[in-house]
Amino acid sequence: MGWRTDDELQQMLRDSAVHYFGSAGGPDHFRKVRASTAGFDPAAWKQMGELGWTGILLPEAAGGSEMGLQCALTLAEEIGRSIAPEPFVASAVIAATVLAASDTPAAGALSQSLVAGTRSVTLAWQEQRNTIGLPAFATRFEGNRLSGVKRFVPAWHADSALLVAGTDGAANILAVLDPAAAGITVRPARLTDGTFGAEIAFDEVVIDDHAIILRGSDADEALSLAIARGTIALSAQLEGLASALWNRTVDYMRQRAQFGSNLSDFQALRHRMVDLYSEIELAGASWRRAASALDEGRYWDIALHAAKARSSQVAQDMGRWAIQYHGAFGYTDEADVGLYVHTAIRWSSWLGNAVSHRRKALEAHRRERGIHA
Amino acid sequence: MPDDLNALSNDAFRTRWRDWLEANYPQEWRVPIIHRLMGDDERRWHRMTYDAGWRAPAWPKEYGGLGLSLEKQLIMHQEMERHQCARVLDSGALLLAPVLMKYGTQAQRDRYLAPILRGDELWCQGYSEPNSGSDLASLRTTAVQEGDQFVINGQKIWTTLAAYADHIFVLTRTNKDVKKQAGISFLLAPMDAPGLTVRPIMNLADEDELCEVFFDNVRVPAENLVGRLNEGWTVAKALLGDERIANGAPTLSRQAFEVLEQLVEGVGLDDDLGATDRVASLFCDIQDLGALHSQVADAAIRGEVDNAVLGLMKVLATDLFQRVSDELLRAAGEDAGLQRAVGIGGVETDLRKIYMIARPSTIYAGANEVQRNIVATMLMGAVGK
Repeated sequence: MGWRTDDELQQMLRDSAVHYFGSAGGPDHFRKVRASTAGFDPAAWKQMGELGWTGILLPEAAGGSEMGLQCALTLAEEIGRSIAPEPFVASAVIAATVLAASDTPAAGALSQSLVAGTRSVTLAWQEQRNTIGLPAFATRFEGNRLSGVKRFVPAWHADSALLVAGTDGAANILAVLDPAAAGITVRPARLTDGTFGAEIAFDEVVIDDHAIILRGSDADEALSLAIARGTIALSAQLEGLASALWNRTVDYMRQRAQFGSNLSDFQALRHRMVDLYSEIELAGASWRRAASALDEGRYWDIALHAAKARSSQVAQDMGRWAIQYHGAFGYTDEADVGLYVHTAIRWSSWLGNAVSHRRKALEAHRRERGIHA
Repeated sequence: MPDDLNALSNDAFRTRWRDWLEANYPQEWRVPIIHRLMGDDERRWHRMTYDAGWRAPAWPKEYGGLGLSLEKQLIMHQEMERHQCARVLDSGALLLAPVLMKYGTQAQRDRYLAPILRGDELWCQGYSEPNSGSDLASLRTTAVQEGDQFVINGQKIWTTLAAYADHIFVLTRTNKDVKKQAGISFLLAPMDAPGLTVRPIMNLADEDELCEVFFDNVRVPAENLVGRLNEGWTVAKALLGDERIANGAPTLSRQAFEVLEQLVEGVGLDDDLGATDRVASLFCDIQDLGALHSQVADAAIRGEVDNAVLGLMKVLATDLFQRVSDELLRAAGEDAGLQRAVGIGGVETDLRKIYMIARPSTIYAGANEVQRNIVATMLMGAVGK
C-alpha cells in the first residue's frame, strides 16, 4: 500500500473484493463475458448485489448499503485490478446516484432491483462525442412525448433498465423508460472490454407521468454529481488496472530469460518499469485528490480532470509496455495481457480521454486565474 | 522567541510564519528559481531566523532547534514557496547536523552546532570526486592517521558553495583493502587549513557555486573523525525529517510554470492548440505531483514512510522542472536565444537561466538514473537475484 491507506471499512471491503475477484473475477471471467451474446453476466451481477456492492451508494431506505464514495472507489480499484466487465461505474455509481436523488416510487422500485443485483441500470445522457460534464441536451420532452438520440450509452444488454436525461426547453428532466416501448430504437455495438454500448433513438416515445423521477435543478445536481462520481470511479478502475498489469508484467519479466538473464535484470527495462510505476503512483494520488474535492462539493474540479487524464494515460502506457515486455507472446489472445489492454482502451476513452481532460484541467485553471474569463 | 510553536494550531502557525516572512523577508531576495542565498546573505538569513526563533525547524529542541512536527516543517516550506523566497542550501543545518546528532561526540556537537544555528559558520559537503560521481563509494581521497592527526590527500569536485564555506565535511578513503563502502571515514576540516585550496568552476548558468577542493597534506586533529573509523558510509546516510519530502515538491516547476503562463499570454500563444496541449500536459503533471507529494507527506506525518516513492518524487520533480523550462524556450520563439530578460508579457527573467538552473537537478543528489536503479531494486529485487 505504501503511502496509500484504507480506513477500517475500506479495508474490510477491499479484503472481500480481493477474495471475491480472486475466485470469480480476472481473465477467465472476462473471457466468459466477452464470449457471451449479452456481454453481461447476470449471475455475477447478482452476486455483487448480494455482497452489497450494487447498492453501495444507495440509501439504506432503498435497501442500499450507503457506504459512500470512498468505499465505492476502493471497490472500483479492485474491479480495475481484476478487469471485471460488470457495469459498476455505469450502474452502481452513475445510475445509482441519479436514483438516490429521487424520492419517486419509480426510482425506488428501480433502486431495489439494483440493490438486489437483479437489474442493472444505465443512464442515457450523452449526445455528442467528447462530452465532459453536464451538456445542454437536444433530447426533448414535449408534452408526454420524448424525442432525440443518445449516444455512447454504456453497459447495454437486453435486460438493462434505462434512465434518460433530456429537457422540456426550460428544465432538465430525468425519466425511467422501458427500453421495449414503442418508438425506441437501440443500436448496440460491442466494445473492447466485451460489454456493449448503444446508440438509442427516441421517436415520440410516450412518457407516463410516474416515469419522471427528477426535474429542474434537482435533475441538474443529480446528473452533474453522477457523471463526476462516475468519472472518478472510472479513474480508480483504470489505476487499479494499470497497477495489476504492472505486477503481471514484472512477474513475467522475472521468469522469462534471454541472453542468459531474466528480463527483469535488464536496466533499460527496469528503468521503464520504474517510470511506469511512478505514473501509477501519480494516478493513485490524482484520483484520491479528485475524490476529496468532490466530497467538499467541487464536482468538476481541476483535480477531476487531472485524475481522468492521468489514469487514462497510464493505463494505455502500461498496456503498450506490457505487450512489449511480454514479447511476441504478449501479442497473442492466449496471453491475458491483451485483455487488460482491451479494457484499458474502453475505459480510458469513455467519459473523456486523456487529452480532452488535460485541456479541461487547463481551462478550469485559467478560469480560476481569470485568464480568458 | 515565540511561545511553543508546536502548541499552535496549523492555521495559526502558518499565519504567524507568513506574517513574519511578509514583515521581514528582504524584498531583493524574492527572485524565485534564479536567486540563491550565498555567503553573507546566507549568514544573514540564518541569523535573522535564529534571532526571531524560526531557525532549524527540524532539529530537536535539545540542540537548539524548534523540534517542529513534520506537518509544521512542511507548512514552513509551503509558505516560503508562496512568498517566492530564494533558494538556500544550508548544508550545515540540513546535511551535517543530523550526522553530528546521530554519530558525533558531545564535544563535536558543542563545538559545531551553535555556530550553524547562528549563521556564524557555513559548511560545504565534500563527497563527489572527479572519478566518483554517481558511484560515490569508489572515492579515492585518502586520510591517513599519523599520531593524533589525519592527513588528507586528494581532490573533491562539485562542492557547492565551497568558496563561501568555513568548514567542509569530507568522505575519505581510510582502508583500500576492503569492500569499497567499508573503507570510508567521515572527517571535518576547516577551509583555511594549510594545503586546502578551492577553485570555483563556472557553470552553464554563469554561476561559480560549484568548486573543486584540493587536499595537499591537509592535517586535521583525530577528534575531527565523526563516527567510527571506516564507518563513514553509514554515517553519511543520516538525514533529518523533512528534507527528502520537501525535495519531492514541485516547487521549482510551479514557479517556472507561472513564468510560462505569463510568457504564453504575452506572446499570444494562449489559443495555439499545440502550445495549449503542451501547457495543459505540464499543468496536469504539476497538479498530480502536487497531489502525490501532499499525500506522501500526510503518510509520513502519520509515520508511514514509503521509501520507493520518496526516491521517485525526486526523479519526477526534477524531470518536470526541466520539461517546464524546455517549454519556456519553445514559447519564447526567437527570443529564447536572448542572453538577458525577455521582457515579454511582464516576464523580466532570463529564460536561459531558468533553463540552465533546471539542468543539474537531474544529476545531483543521486542522478535520476541512479535513483531509478535504487527504486527498481526496491520494487523488482536486485539484479541477478
